[in-house]
Amino acid sequence: MRQLLALGMVLISLGLGSELSYGQRDPNARCLLECHGTSDFKREVAPGQFKSLYVDYEQFKTSVHKDKLCIDCHTDVTAIPHQRRPEQIHCLQCHYQGNVVGAPVSERPEKYKESVHGKAFARGDPNAPDCKHCHTVHSVRAPTDPLSPVYRANIPKTCGSCHIEIYTEYLESVHGQALRNNILESAVCSDCHREHDLFPPDDPRSSLHPQNVANTCARCHADVKIMERRGVPVKQVEAFKKSFHGIAIEFEVLKSANCVSCHGYHKILSSRDPRSPIYPLNLANTCGQCHPNASENVARGRFHIIPSDPGAGIVFWVYEFYRWLTIVMTAGFIFYIVLDLYGRWRHARRGSHG
Amino acid sequence: MADSANEERLVHELQRELERELDRSLDDAELQRVKELVRAQLEAELRAKQRRIAREKEQAEEYFVRFSLNVCLQHLVLAIGVILLTITGLPIKFHDSAWAEFIFRHIWSLEVNRIIHRVGASLLMFVTVWHIGWLMTREGRRELRELLPRVKDLWDFIANVKFMLGLSSERPKFGRYSYSEKFEYWALVWGTAVMVLSGLMLWFHRITLAYLPKYIFDVALQAHSGEALLAILALITWHMYHAHLNPEVFPMNMTIFTGKISKKRMIEEHPLEYEQIMRERAGAERP
Ligand code: HEC
Ligand code: HEC
Ligand code: HEC
Ligand code: HEC
Ligand code: HEC
Ligand code: HEC
Ligand code: HEC
Ligand code: HEC
Repeated sequence: MRQLLALGMVLISLGLGSELSYGQRDPNARCLLECHGTSDFKREVAPGQFKSLYVDYEQFKTSVHKDKLCIDCHTDVTAIPHQRRPEQIHCLQCHYQGNVVGAPVSERPEKYKESVHGKAFARGDPNAPDCKHCHTVHSVRAPTDPLSPVYRANIPKTCGSCHIEIYTEYLESVHGQALRNNILESAVCSDCHREHDLFPPDDPRSSLHPQNVANTCARCHADVKIMERRGVPVKQVEAFKKSFHGIAIEFEVLKSANCVSCHGYHKILSSRDPRSPIYPLNLANTCGQCHPNASENVARGRFHIIPSDPGAGIVFWVYEFYRWLTIVMTAGFIFYIVLDLYGRWRHARRGSHG
Repeated sequence: MADSANEERLVHELQRELERELDRSLDDAELQRVKELVRAQLEAELRAKQRRIAREKEQAEEYFVRFSLNVCLQHLVLAIGVILLTITGLPIKFHDSAWAEFIFRHIWSLEVNRIIHRVGASLLMFVTVWHIGWLMTREGRRELRELLPRVKDLWDFIANVKFMLGLSSERPKFGRYSYSEKFEYWALVWGTAVMVLSGLMLWFHRITLAYLPKYIFDVALQAHSGEALLAILALITWHMYHAHLNPEVFPMNMTIFTGKISKKRMIEEHPLEYEQIMRERAGAERP
């Protein structure tokens, strides 16, 4: 309720130029012509400090909301020019489940309120993002639009504007490198963290809760088509879920290893990269976080093996040996038992007949 | 009552038959003879039947000691160990299945499962050491000699299969241990060796990871899992059948718990051993 609320001086620009693209018939014209369409239209929020109230209409006209009127969103503006400062409004007034204006919602934007960001914002953390920090206000574009800040290729930069260190780390990772090479199926921040329902990892709803990590990576790493295109082996997730680490994680032993315990997360690198935690020479240290005696021996042998897969090497042969032994023996047992019962039955019948 | 009615009926039948044959009616003296005849016949039959029952009862009640208390206890500990290992091992092997999920979520947690599995493993290892010690005793050495596979077992097996198929009318005669019992014993020895060795490597994976290449661990893990399934399937087919479902012993062969076996089953199942015991007893009585 401070000075912030006082309206700044309204500067009426005299230079209404021909560069304006809206005509007098545009219902938004009244807002723009006199005030918000001029680039130095601003108000004083504190003595000597100004906030721009300029709305770039060119941008607006290419945004997803181009068919909306200013007053569709700023609903309390009834007369133009308005006398009082319009109420602070919010995207969620339309983008909620069951809205009648046809605003698209996956349930996710609503979850923003419970997310790390939403909570920090509600606490009044000045750095926490609201919708507008990721989407902009008046030039909102669909995620499929390459000019949108939430277009896949732009997401790391958008998040990175606040999480700078992580952004630089990410850029070095295989995922970041691939994205820089325009491989859009690589992982961006929101593939791992999700964009709106973003929770700290100790929250079971989080996509990065130890029990959910494997499924988060699985979205791509269990997808044969993507991985074949990129020439990356694809059975890791399945193999992980079959391994004791995976079983333990699934059944609540959270101290067991999940994908990121071994691979790292923002700086995930190929096993061929000497900086990678899964580079053979680094593996003893990686396992050593949890298995104090681990030696370089842990690098001797393949990882992520599926016993029934010929790629598993010697383990495959042990698997096959036992498979056939079990089939032959069990079939033999059953055959023998049936034979024995048959012999007894025949004997008993003959016995009773004489 | 029924007997006297039966007697009357028989007398009556005989009388009618004789009358038809002789073509005249019998006089009183003759009728008396017939009655006596029938009575004597019936009494003889009854006595024979009573004798047979008594003999069977005697055979059934006469027990031989088949296993010492030591062996019975070994089996008991082994059985408890194996049951614990099975019920905690299967849900890990089939962790994808709905029942494993149910067990881990609602009955016992994975952590508890691991502890029970180790308790079972300890019992199995304990009984293994015990058994090896026992094999050194005089009793153990004798039993081991009996358990060694011989060529006779092969012939017995072939003869038994012939018998089952009806190609021969007699079962082969088994000694103290039939080929199927020997097979089970040696399968158990092999299985325990594999399971204990690989299991120790999993249990002490920290040491394994430090001193052995990881692929050795993977092989141990696979062998542990494969051998376990084989052993369990053998238990629920071979062992179940021979110790429980077999018509001879259904519902349960108690010998391994009481140590005793009836004379009847002794004669049927271990005729050679029976003969030998009888010979030894006779030999002991003679001088
Ligand atoms: C799709 C809905 C929508 C439409 C259409 C829209 N706005 Fe906005 N506008 C918003 C939202 C949301 C905010 C508040 C952003 C924030 O939280 O600071 C806002 C803020 C503003 C502000 C800044 C207020 C302040 O205190 O900082 C101005 C000025 C403004 N709008 C003018 C316009 C004009 C002029 C138009 C028509 C050309 C328009 N808006 C159309 C949603 C909309
Ligand atoms: C007046 C209600 C209203 C408000 C307020 C509003 N929107 Fe929208 N929004 C819509 C409607 C309606 C559409 C669908 C437009 C279309 O498809 O033509 C839409 C579309 C979108 C889309 C495109 C979705 C897609 O999948 O293509 C995004 C992104 C979006 N809005 C974000 C925002 C953000 C961010 C804000 C706050 C700055 C906001 N909206 C405020 C009504 C609203
Ligand atoms: C931390 C950044 C961030 C914040 C804050 C954020 N979004 Fe988003 N939003 C994204 C990203 C990234 C995408 C693109 C997701 C994708 O690739 O599909 C997106 C997509 C959308 C979409 C279109 C896809 C969909 O889910 O229907 C809508 C609508 C949307 N956001 C609305 C909102 C609203 C409303 C808010 C505020 C409550 C909000 N967003 C806050 C990052 C953000
Ligand atoms: C406007 C700046 C801003 C933007 C943009 C932003 N964040 Fe954040 N983010 C924050 C702040 C501030 C916090 C601290 C919240 C807290 O810990 O209270 C935070 C917290 C987080 C956390 C939780 C950190 C923890 O300690 O658990 C994650 C994860 C995160 N952000 C991911 C993202 C992702 C992914 C994006 C892009 C989709 C993004 N952020 C965009 C400011 C931002
Ligand atoms: C491959 C998946 C993945 C990608 C891509 C990714 N993250 Fe993360 N991020 C994680 C994981 C996993 C954690 C750690 C969770 C934990 O602490 O267990 C994490 C943690 C964080 C944290 C919390 C602080 C920390 O370092 O622990 C922030 C903030 C964050 N990420 C932001 C980002 C941003 C911004 C991007 C994009 C530039 C991004 N992440 C990309 C997986 C990812
Ligand atoms: C959105 C899809 C996606 C997600 C989610 C994702 N990845 Fe990836 N990942 C890729 C793609 C695509 C590549 C191949 C990049 C390239 O072409 O170099 C890759 C590469 C990798 C590589 C390097 C493979 C190699 O041989 O070079 C590793 C390791 C990896 N990812 C681990 C993870 C882990 C761990 C997670 C989960 C925390 C994860 N990824 C999540 C898409 C994804
Ligand atoms: C116990 C540690 C560990 C865990 C947990 C783990 N990995 Fe790995 N991963 C490795 C090691 C070590 C390699 C080295 C390559 C090899 O030998 O195949 C590897 C290789 C890979 C590769 C091939 C990349 C390359 O550069 O060779 C991918 C992709 C991968 N892992 C994904 C995953 C995913 C997805 C998960 C979770 C579902 C996961 N990993 C869990 C240790 C682990
Ligand atoms: C985040 C911690 C963590 C990391 C990192 C980790 N492990 Fe484990 N691992 C565990 C836990 C917890 C167990 C459960 C057994 C226990 O209590 O030690 C386990 C169990 C094992 C087992 C025994 C599995 C079984 O079937 O009994 C092996 C082998 C193993 N890990 C190998 C590795 C190797 C090799 C690496 C490195 C590539 C590794 N681990 C990395 C936590 C981890």
